[in-house]
Amino acid sequence: MPVAASAIYFLNLRGDVLINRLYRDDVGGNMVDAFRMHIMQTKELGTCPVRQIGGCSFFYMRISNVYIVIVVSSNANVACAFKFVVEAVALFKSYFGGAFDEDAIRNNFVLIYELLDEIMDFGYPQNLSPEILKLYITQEGVRSPFSSKPSDKPVPNATLQVTGAVGWRREGLVYKKNEVFLDIVESVNLLMSSKGSVLRCDVTGKILMKCFLSGMPDLKLGLNDKIGLEKESQLKSRPTKSGKTIELDDVTFHQCVNLTRFNSEKTVSFVPPDGEFELMKYRITEGVNLPFRVLPTIKELGRTRMEVNVKVKSVFGAKMFALGVVIKIPVPKQTAKTSFQVTSGRAKYNAAIDCLVWK
Amino acid sequence: MAPPAQSQRSSSPSQPSGKSEVSDLKLQLRQLAGSRAPGVDDSKRELFKKVISYMTIGIDVSSLFGEMVMCSATSDIVLKKMCYLYVGNYAKVNPDLALLTINFLQRDCHDEDPMIRGLALRSLCSLRVANLVEYLVGPLGSGLKDSNSYVRIVAVIGVLKLYHISVSTCVDADFPSILKHLMLNDSDTQVVANCLSALQEIWSAEASTSEEASREREALISKPVIYYLLNRIKEFSEWAQCLVLELVAKYMPLESDEIFDIMNLLEDRLQHANGAVVLATIKVFLQLTLSLTDVHQQVYERIKAPLLTLVSSGSPEQSYAVLSHLHILVMRAPYIFSSDYKHFYCQYNEPYYVKRLKLEMLTAVANESNTYEIVTELCEYAANVDIPIARESIRAVGKIALQQYDVNAIVDRLLQFLEMEKDYVTAEALVLVKDLLRKYPQWSHDCIAVVGNISSKNVQEPKAKAALIWMLGEYSQDMQDAPYILESLVENWDEEHSAEVRLHLLTAVMKCFFKRPPETQNALGAALAAGIADFHQDVHDRALFYYRILQYNVSVAEHVVNPPKQAVSVFADTQSSEIKDRIFDEFNSLSVVYQKPSYMFTDKEHRGPFEFSDELGNLSIGGEAADNVVSAQRVEANDKDLLLTTSEKEETRGSSNNGTDYTAPYDSSSTSVFASQTRMELEISNPTSAGHAPQASLGIDDLLGLGLPAAPAPSSPQLKLSSKAVLDPSAFQQKWRQLPVALSQECSVSPQGVAAFTSPQALLRHMQSHSIHCIASGGQSPNFKFFFFAQKAEETSNYLVECVINTSSAKAQIKIKADDQSTSSAFSTVFQSALSRFGIP
Repeated sequence: MPVAASAIYFLNLRGDVLINRLYRDDVGGNMVDAFRMHIMQTKELGTCPVRQIGGCSFFYMRISNVYIVIVVSSNANVACAFKFVVEAVALFKSYFGGAFDEDAIRNNFVLIYELLDEIMDFGYPQNLSPEILKLYITQEGVRSPFSSKPSDKPVPNATLQVTGAVGWRREGLVYKKNEVFLDIVESVNLLMSSKGSVLRCDVTGKILMKCFLSGMPDLKLGLNDKIGLEKESQLKSRPTKSGKTIELDDVTFHQCVNLTRFNSEKTVSFVPPDGEFELMKYRITEGVNLPFRVLPTIKELGRTRMEVNVKVKSVFGAKMFALGVVIKIPVPKQTAKTSFQVTSGRAKYNAAIDCLVWK
Repeated sequence: MAPPAQSQRSSSPSQPSGKSEVSDLKLQLRQLAGSRAPGVDDSKRELFKKVISYMTIGIDVSSLFGEMVMCSATSDIVLKKMCYLYVGNYAKVNPDLALLTINFLQRDCHDEDPMIRGLALRSLCSLRVANLVEYLVGPLGSGLKDSNSYVRIVAVIGVLKLYHISVSTCVDADFPSILKHLMLNDSDTQVVANCLSALQEIWSAEASTSEEASREREALISKPVIYYLLNRIKEFSEWAQCLVLELVAKYMPLESDEIFDIMNLLEDRLQHANGAVVLATIKVFLQLTLSLTDVHQQVYERIKAPLLTLVSSGSPEQSYAVLSHLHILVMRAPYIFSSDYKHFYCQYNEPYYVKRLKLEMLTAVANESNTYEIVTELCEYAANVDIPIARESIRAVGKIALQQYDVNAIVDRLLQFLEMEKDYVTAEALVLVKDLLRKYPQWSHDCIAVVGNISSKNVQEPKAKAALIWMLGEYSQDMQDAPYILESLVENWDEEHSAEVRLHLLTAVMKCFFKRPPETQNALGAALAAGIADFHQDVHDRALFYYRILQYNVSVAEHVVNPPKQAVSVFADTQSSEIKDRIFDEFNSLSVVYQKPSYMFTDKEHRGPFEFSDELGNLSIGGEAADNVVSAQRVEANDKDLLLTTSEKEETRGSSNNGTDYTAPYDSSSTSVFASQTRMELEISNPTSAGHAPQASLGIDDLLGLGLPAAPAPSSPQLKLSSKAVLDPSAFQQKWRQLPVALSQECSVSPQGVAAFTSPQALLRHMQSHSIHCIASGGQSPNFKFFFFAQKAEETSNYLVECVINTSSAKAQIKIKADDQSTSSAFSTVFQSALSRFGIP
C-alpha cells in the first residue's frame, strides 16, 4: 500500500519542530525526539536518508536550513514519499514566492498547515497541483473582515476544479496577449579520469515553458527529424551513427503531455498548465560535443603543500562566447592558506564549500 | 472592547514555560468569544495563530479547549481551519470537551459551501474519539452521496478513518459496499483512487476474520476491476496512478496476450516525470513477466533507460530511492547492466549513501570485458579523502577479484594498496589478501613477500590484525620470522582487546607450532597459558580445547587445527535466494531500501507502535544477523577449529544428545604418550586457571536454560545418583566457571586407598561404581588432581567436584559445585563415603 506518510515534521537545524502534522495514529508523538536523538545528534546524519528506529522508518531530506522528515510504520513506497516531499516543497515555494527556509516556514505556518491538510489525507497524497490549490487556499485569507457572509461564488467553482479532468489547468483564463516562452536548459556531466581521458559524459536537458494563453489550448511541439528516440529494438542493432541524428537516450514528460501521441507521431501534444513548468526532460550519452576542455595537473609538494594547475580551453566555434564561467576546484578541508595566479578573472578561496572559486 | 496586543511572533520562540502565556491567551479568547464587533476576526486570527504556534513547539494548550470551541463560531474560513486543526490535535486527550465541537462540526457539514462541508467532515473524522463515532455515521453517509466531488473525496477517506477508530461501526453502516459502488461508478478519479486505498486497507484487515472480506479483496484484483482502472489510468493524478499500478502488479493475467496488452497500455508511463509512477510501472512489468523468461529479459532492457534517467535527475535522496531499486535489479541480472557500468561511476559531490550503492553495483556488473576499467576507477577512489568510501572501494576491488578468474592485475593492485602506508588502506587490503589467498592459494608467494614487510604494529584494526595473524600462521613456513612476530604478539596478549584477534592468535600459534616446533614452542606455551586465563569465554574454551587435544595426541591435534586445505571456490552468500525473491516481490517499497523483506521490519510495530528502544531495531534484524553468523562460519568451514567452536556451543545447549563415548575421561595412559616437555608446561597452567576461574552467579545458569526450579531438600540423606550421567568437557568447563563453590572440605583417604593408588585409573573405576564420573585427571606423584561430576537420578542437576589428592599425606581436598546448592552437602557425604571406601575391598 503506497502510504506515503504517517506523520510529517519540519525541523530546523537545531531539531526544533517548526511544523508537525500527524496523519495516522500508528506513529507516536515522540517520534521527533527519536529522530533528534538517533539521527540528528549522531554522526549518521549524512549516511542514509532512510533510517529505521524502533518500529518506524524515517525518510528525511534537508532543504536549505530545514529538515523535512516523514515517518511511517508500514512498508511504504519510498520513491513516492520523496517525490511527495519534493513536490510539496515546490508547492510551498510557489506560495511563498521563492525561498523555502526556516523563516519562510515560521512566517507562513498557518498556510502550511492548510496546505498539508489538502495535499495529503490519512497518509495518501492528494492533489498537489499549485494551480488548483491556489484557487481555494490563498495566502491572505481573502475575505474582508467586514463581510461576515462569504462570497460563495468562486469557491464551488474551485472545488469543481480540484477534481476536473484537466487537473493542472483551470478554466476561464483570459490573457490580452497570448504568449509562450520556451527555454532549453542543458547540463553536461563529465567524468574524467586523473589522466585526462573521458570516462563518462552525458547531457541532461530540460525544456522549460512559460505559458500565458487563454482558454484551454491544445499545443503541439514538433521535434525535428534528427531526433531519434532509442527503443529497445534498436538498442541491440544500433546502426552506425550517421553523425547527424541526435539520439535521445530517454525522455520524460510533464503529466500534461499525451504520451501515447508522442509514441505514435513523435509530436509532443499537451494542454499546458498556466505559468511556468518543465515540459520535458531528456538524456543524451552519445555524440556529446564538449564546450570546454579542462586540463588539470596536481603536484604534491611535500606533505603539506599542493600545487594545482588548471588549464581551460574552449572548443566551441570562434563566433560564440561563454558567459558566467565559474570553475570550482575542491581542496582538502583543512586548507590553511591559498595563493593564486590567474590569467583572467578572479579567484578566491571559499572555505565553506572547501573550494577555490575562479570566475 | 480592547483589541488584544498584536505582538509580532518572534522568529525564534524561546521555549517558555507556557503557563502564563496560556492563561493570558485564555483570558483574551474569552473576551473575544461573544463579540460580534467588526475586526474581531482579525484579532481572533492572531490569537489562534499564537495558540497553534504554541501547540507546534510542544506547549500544552489543551486547557484552552473550551475557549477555542466558543470562538469557533465564525464564518472566516482560515479561522475555521485553524480551529479544526486545534480540535483535531486535542480532541483525543479531551474526549468530554470534544463533544462540544461535534455540534458546530455537524452544522458545518451541512453548510452550503462544499469547501466548508468537506473541511468539517475531515475534521469530524479526525477527532479520533471512540465514543463519538455515532455522530460520524450520519455526516459520512450524506458526504458519500454529496453532489460535490471534493466532499466525496474527503468522505471516502473519512470512512477509512472511522474504520480505524471503530471497526464495527464502519462495517455495520455498510460503508465498504458503498465505497465499492463509488469506486466503480464515480466520475471523479480522485474519489475512485481514495476508494481504492480505503478498500484495500479495510479488506486486508478484515480478511483474517471474515471470509467475505477476503473474497472482496480478491475481487479487487479481478479482471473487470483492473481493466476498469487501467482504462482510466490517464485521468488519475500521478499519486493515484501509483496506487492503481501497485494494484495491477498483484494481478495475474491468465493469458499472455493479456500481459502484452497491459504492457503496451502502460509503456508510456515509463516516460512520466514522476519517478514514483515510473517505478510502479516497472514493478508491474516485472511482476507480469515473471513467468515469461525471455520477455522478462526484454523488460530489463526496456526499463534500463528510464531508470538511469531517474537516477541522474532529482535530489540525492530521490536518486537514492531509485538507486536502491536499480541495485536490486542489477543484483538479479548483472549482465544486462554490464555495458552501462560507467553510469555507476561516482561523482565527487555525491553523498556517501549514493556512492556506496554505486560501488556495490560496480562490483556486481564487473565481467571479463569491463573489469580492467572498473578496477582502475575503483583504485582512484581508494585514495579518496572520504575514508568510508575509500574503504568500500578497496573492498569492492577485492570482491571483484574473488569473482573473476583473471586476477593478476587485481592482485598487483591490492598489493600496491598494502604499500600505500595509510592505516585504513592497509587494513582493508590485508583482509582482502587473506580472502584472496583462501581462494587462490597459488598467489601466496607474491602476497606473502609483501605481507611479510608489514609491521604488525602498524595494524590496529581487529579485522585486519586477525587477517595478518591468520596469514602468519598459515604461511609460517614461508615467512622467515613468523614465529617471532607471533611471539611478540603473544607477549602483548593483555593489550589486545579484541577477542577475535586473540582467537586467531591462538590458532596461528598452533599452526606455526606444527610447522616450526622448536621456534614456536615458547610462544605456544605462553599463548595457551594466557588463553586459558582469558576472561573471554570463547578464547578460554579454545585455548583449553587446544591444550586438551595436544595432551591427547599431537598428530590428531595437527589434523584438527591445520588440515590440508582446499581452496574456497565460492564464498557463501549472506542472503538466501528466498529472501531475495521476497524483497523482489515487494519491489517499490521500503524493503528494497533496507534490503530485507518487510516482515523483518514491520512486525515489531504490532507489539506497540509507541514503544521506543534501540533493542527493537536490533531485534528485527536479529534473525538475519544470526543467519550471517552461521553463513560466515560456513565460509570458514575449512578452518576446522572454527567449526568446532560452533559445535561446542551446540553441545553445551544439548549435552544430553551426546553419545556417552564422548565423555570418556582423558586417562593418563594417553597422556603419557605425549611429548613430555610441552606437557609439563601445560600441566602447570591448568590448575591456575581452574583456581582463578571467575565465580559467576547462578543467574547465568538460569539464562542458559540449565537452571532448575529449586528442588525440595532431599528427604533422605542418601542421595540417588544417576549411573548414566553424561556431561561433556566443555559443558563441564563452562559450569565450573559459572557456579560458585558450594563446599570446600578436606578429608582423609584410607591408607589402603593410598596404597592402592598406583594409578589414577583404579580410583576412576572405583568412583564410577558409585555413579561419580571422572572428566579429567592429571598430576604426578604425590599430587593428583581429578575433576569429577555426577548427576542426580531422574534429574539433570549436576554436581561438579575438584579433588586434589596428596598420596604422601593421605589427604584429599574437595571443592564441590552444584546446580542445586541445597543438596550439595548431601552429595558431599556421598562423595566422601565413596572416596573413603577406595582401596577397601
